[in-house]
Amino acid sequence: MAWEYYVVVMLVYLGTDLLAVWGLNLEFGVSGVANLAYIVVVAAGAYTFAVCTLGPSSGNGGFQQYIGGFTLPFPLALLAGAGAGAVVGTVIGVTGLKRLRQDYQGVAMLVVSLMVVTVVGADTGLLNGSAGLALIPNPFADLDPEVARWAYVAVVAVCCLIGFMVLRRFTTGPLGRTLRAMRDDDTAASASGKNVVGLRLLVQAVGGAFGGLSGALLAGFIGGWSPSAWAYIETLAFLSCVIVGGRGSDRGVSLGTLIIAVLLLQGVQFLPQIASSPGLSEDFGWIILGTATIAFIWFRPQGVLPERRPKYLGRASSKSAG
Amino acid sequence: MSSTVTGAILEVDNLEKHYGGVHAVDGVSLTVERGSITGLIGPNGAGKSTVLAVVGGFVAPSAGRIRFEGVDVTRTQMHERARRGLVRTFQMARVFGNLTTIENLLVAAPGQRGERAVGLLGGRRSWGAQERQLVEDARTILDTFGMATKADEPARNLSGGQKRAVEIMRTLMMKPKLLLLDEPMAGLSPSLSRQLEDVLLSLAEGGLSLLLVEHELDTVDRLCGKVVVMAQGKVLSEGRMSELRLSREVQDAYVIG
Repeated sequence: MAWEYYVVVMLVYLGTDLLAVWGLNLEFGVSGVANLAYIVVVAAGAYTFAVCTLGPSSGNGGFQQYIGGFTLPFPLALLAGAGAGAVVGTVIGVTGLKRLRQDYQGVAMLVVSLMVVTVVGADTGLLNGSAGLALIPNPFADLDPEVARWAYVAVVAVCCLIGFMVLRRFTTGPLGRTLRAMRDDDTAASASGKNVVGLRLLVQAVGGAFGGLSGALLAGFIGGWSPSAWAYIETLAFLSCVIVGGRGSDRGVSLGTLIIAVLLLQGVQFLPQIASSPGLSEDFGWIILGTATIAFIWFRPQGVLPERRPKYLGRASSKSAG
Repeated sequence: MSSTVTGAILEVDNLEKHYGGVHAVDGVSLTVERGSITGLIGPNGAGKSTVLAVVGGFVAPSAGRIRFEGVDVTRTQMHERARRGLVRTFQMARVFGNLTTIENLLVAAPGQRGERAVGLLGGRRSWGAQERQLVEDARTILDTFGMATKADEPARNLSGGQKRAVEIMRTLMMKPKLLLLDEPMAGLSPSLSRQLEDVLLSLAEGGLSLLLVEHELDTVDRLCGKVVVMAQGKVLSEGRMSELRLSREVQDAYVIG
């Protein structure tokens, strides 16, 4: 059934987008690290998953070239993707270590993003250049196609569930509070005894792992990955989910992902196609995305579901009354 | 070793800080005795705030040595100095605007299990008890400053004076040994500033050492045992405020700037 396949695709996209947006929200929304190179960690996860499952480069008639080439089991390849995201995220984090203002950090990371995609696209021996990698094996290829699709949805759902539980350990409690303090004023956080450099690298490693897992799951589902999939503008789509949903709020950005990444960017596919300009509906989606983001920054910077802070007053007043 | 003999908690030796050709701090030496309030005064541009910034670790010195509790901390990072008990406040009060007032205090508590790997793995079970204790500590400090009713207010909504109070309360959560205060009375109402004076005096009685940059000389007179006068990056004179008021040199520095 065509609609069933469509639902599966939407659910996988929603799940992988959620993982990526949660990771970016941990970095930008919670900790104030304007990582405009975030899509690079997603790509790192996707490529790592690909070379960990594709087997040697000589396979499939040797029509694509890449480094490595292993046949790891699916769960291990996913972990490798997450690990690669963490490593690449940390490396990107190092570019922001110099005491740069947040906006300059963002610019530095944007440049990193452009450089990496250019290098990977130009060098065909590394990851098959601009053509990208294809024929990434589906882990459930032996199953009935319909069962295989839903099995993949289940894997994505489990990853999201575990991911959210891990995420909450970082965004709530004393650590979440410290990260938000660093976001609000990193100098004052440092004066309060917080190792700002270490914390930044920590969130970029953890956020990178989320992005890497997202990319690995996506590559395994689509079966291919190329530089066109991780242009810098994709980071802006995730950023838009964070801003519209509610910066720093895990539930908010999840809603933002549903609204922006799924309803908006997929919804425009249903617009009538114009034969003379086939890409118009997609462009239209980006225009709405940009407009919505700017509108939120202007009129509702806290987003649809703003960050909420715990209250302590209730307990104290009951105590003083007693 | 010398610190145990002299009883100094902080020894600054021949400190220099150059910005290009400008010698903001030009060979400053001073000491702060344990449990004392030392004042640092001087006209605008004398280099007082730069001395505080260098001692706090916010700015690296061009030359000179800083010893805290007898240990050389000249190259120690700011957060590391803070953990050792050498804590500063800022000239413009800095608060964590999206956190509530009480959270601003809680953040600063040292050694929180919830910030470490053990807290990440164990979750609330591993840090809940410590957190409850910290909330009690924070509430006690809020009561001292008469700000318990603002506990759950986002810090960005507070007035300028209240933000300054939050900053000082936050440093107290860190259980500092030496507090560097950069014009703590600036922008406070007279009554609030007298209140803060009382708090600082009782803290010093409790054994806390303070180094205070302040323009309001009456405040300095009431609080400080020893006062160091700076002008044009150098130490001009030091002594009790009552003696310094009579000094020709100090008067000239203030008038001429």
